[in-house]
Amino acid sequence: MILSDIYLWLSYSHVPTSKINKILEHISPTELWNSFDDESRYRSDDKTINALKRTRNLEYIERAKLYLETNNIKYVTRADPIYPVSLAQRETDPPPVLYYKGDIRNLSAPSIAVVGTRRASQYGRYVSQKIVDGLAGAFTIVSGMAAGIDGYAHAAALSAGGKTAAVLGSGLFNPSPISNIKLFDEICEKGVVLSEYTPDTHASVYTFPQRNRIISGLCKGTLVVEAAERSGALITADCALEQGRDVFAVPGDIDKPRSVGTNKLIKSGGIAVTCAEDILEYYSVSTPPKAEQKTLALDFAEQQVLDILSEGEKSFDALVMTCGMTVPELNTALSSLMIYGLIHQKAKNLYCVSK
Amino acid sequence: MLAKIQSYALNGLDGYGVAVEVDIHPGLPGFDVVGLPDTAIKESRERVRSAVKNSGYDFTARKITVNLAPANTKKEGPVFDLAIALGVLVSTEQAGVDGGRKPLAALNEYVFLGELSLSGAVTRINGVMPMLIAAREKGVKKMVIPRANANEARYIRGIDVYPVSTLREAVGLINGEVAEVLEHSDVVLGQTTRASENLKFVKGQYAAKRALEIAAAGGHNILMIGSPGGGKTMLAKCLPGILPDMTEEEALETTKIHSVAAILDAERGIVTTRPFRSPHHTTSKIALTGGGPAAKPGEISYAHNGVLFLDEMPEYPRASLEILRQPLEDGVVTVSRAARTVEYPANFMLVASMNPCPCGYYGSATHTCTCSPSQIQKYLSRISGPLLDRIDLHIEVDEVNYDDLTKETDTESSECVRERVNMARGIQTARYVGSDVHCNAQMTSEMIKKYCALDEKGEKILQNAFDKLGMSARAYTRILKVARTIADLEGSDNIHAKHIAEAVMYRSLDKAVK
Repeated sequence: MILSDIYLWLSYSHVPTSKINKILEHISPTELWNSFDDESRYRSDDKTINALKRTRNLEYIERAKLYLETNNIKYVTRADPIYPVSLAQRETDPPPVLYYKGDIRNLSAPSIAVVGTRRASQYGRYVSQKIVDGLAGAFTIVSGMAAGIDGYAHAAALSAGGKTAAVLGSGLFNPSPISNIKLFDEICEKGVVLSEYTPDTHASVYTFPQRNRIISGLCKGTLVVEAAERSGALITADCALEQGRDVFAVPGDIDKPRSVGTNKLIKSGGIAVTCAEDILEYYSVSTPPKAEQKTLALDFAEQQVLDILSEGEKSFDALVMTCGMTVPELNTALSSLMIYGLIHQKAKNLYCVSK
Repeated sequence: MLAKIQSYALNGLDGYGVAVEVDIHPGLPGFDVVGLPDTAIKESRERVRSAVKNSGYDFTARKITVNLAPANTKKEGPVFDLAIALGVLVSTEQAGVDGGRKPLAALNEYVFLGELSLSGAVTRINGVMPMLIAAREKGVKKMVIPRANANEARYIRGIDVYPVSTLREAVGLINGEVAEVLEHSDVVLGQTTRASENLKFVKGQYAAKRALEIAAAGGHNILMIGSPGGGKTMLAKCLPGILPDMTEEEALETTKIHSVAAILDAERGIVTTRPFRSPHHTTSKIALTGGGPAAKPGEISYAHNGVLFLDEMPEYPRASLEILRQPLEDGVVTVSRAARTVEYPANFMLVASMNPCPCGYYGSATHTCTCSPSQIQKYLSRISGPLLDRIDLHIEVDEVNYDDLTKETDTESSECVRERVNMARGIQTARYVGSDVHCNAQMTSEMIKKYCALDEKGEKILQNAFDKLGMSARAYTRILKVARTIADLEGSDNIHAKHIAEAVMYRSLDKAVK
């Protein structure tokens, strides 16, 4: 019996990872397999023992392997050398097996987790895209593929041509939310999607918080972009602290419910981040300089609007008042500037410069 | 004696002649109407009896049979009252007979329309204008109508119209007394519209106002998305004030429908201002498209050549919204019932407003949205893609802050904007002369290819917009059409890069959906 098959047995027994790791503190996996009937050698509850006993069956494990192979699901066990090193420590409660789709080597690069609320504001979306865009050259962006910030982070990493890894709270056959299914396919192709759960597992209220420890565990640091007072992103941040990782947070307005969580993190010692460089400098990483954008020839109106906006965000109405242009002229100028990527819409009819 | 009086009936907006035959014969006194009459016609027996008596004639105590030919189509409404009463009078030889007691030849030249009151007065009926037009096409030369309908009849040329106010007047007419023909008058267009709001009282909202101007100029459908209290409804109410003048053809088309639907202003007699209809979201499907046993026109036909405003669009039942798709595409709605199939024109400009999410504050600069992504998704999905596809302009309307609200600034009045809109619509009318298309929004793909050619710079900016802003493919032709209107507003023959750039601004939903 080879070691990786034994880990597969442990995973397919559907016993919670924490319980498995508790057993493995006293006995090695091989010994557990060989002397399973000798109950004096390990200690656990009846339910766990029954589950392990039921699945301790060579034929069963072979069938599981065949099933994974035919369904194109790859897996890596703790016995394999490519099992992420950062995960293989006691604090992260490492799962015996990680199932994945895509290229697991994405995880060998230094990684940063970018997480946040599912109910992201336009501001949160912009910030996550902006920061991930800056980080993507140096780090693998790890997140949970949830709606909101998670999804934006993955998408931004992909569009910047960087590496990304999604850790699911369900089996690989049941990615959720279903609205991100396109993103799922894209990450499978260009990055890696992984899960500690067997592919057929459905998501439940317990699985999401559990997988958060893997997100933080895979990374050097965790960046929380937007989080309300009670947010799953804060669980990830807590995990990161327990695992001795760094926690970064993007500060927000003190009166916005979506910033309460992040501001709290900063107050309690989290590192405030306002741009990608903050994180890059923290780890003394330099990204290859991006190809210098060729200077655009702006016309007079565009330059004027850009100058006004550089002094601070302005609403469309305020722009009409200050710039002295007609509405069609202003519309044209704003549209061109947005197409050039020099400005963006922060909220409805509220424009600001993209720095 | 048998008397035969001509009358007219409507099927949709089309008319057909109805011969009212009245026969009096010995027997028990009675009064029967046959020829598939509805309740209103059956009741006309009582009205006719009293009207005849109260006009000073005798109502015979013999057996009266009235037949409405053709007998196989169902007839509605009280329009045959006058014809039946005259038939009774002729067949009892109290009117319209010569010395030899034969009906006068003049009797067959007239078509009679009118409802009677018990006093013998002829009262107003619906659908006079379409009946006049249909009768004229069929070669009818003289028509007698209630005087109350004279205002809408005076715009129809090529047919002599005799307005009467009492049964006695009508009798005088068939007895050969000199009758007064209704004088024709010209349709006076370009009168000031009755808008309840004026753009000059709208503070701020420059982007939205500009979008409304473009929508009005090109007849584009427009969707306003914004938080509660942003002024979406007020902006929509300004719209009638900036819509372009109607052409005579358009005015008559719309008047026909309003005449059938009994919503025509009796004083004015013609619709010269573009209709602005805002049905409530509890309005039934049938009320929206038209139908019912009588296959009457609905709100979308009332809005023909005008505006259909759906406030808080996601509140409308999905089924009601989906049935708008075909009329939006074809400009007509076909109402099919077991008994008949009727086509009503429904060439309207759709103006809709909605909140961006259930709480209304998604993307607001001042408030925080409390909705979950799935709630927002669910809310937005109440408007189906195909329907959204037919809306050219999406704009975001946000609250105006207090400073702007109290600031005294010069803003353009609706009248100024209307001048530009009229100019731009004039260009379009000249461009599409000889085709069914009236405005840029209705352009066919062939016309888009012909009239919306882009120069190299325009092509490039559109390409960039698609790449950078993540536009969907469906936006492509919409942007071209809107750019065409923007160019028309400027009086420019060609679409330039700046027109494209501005048109891109009005696709906020495409950008958001990405």
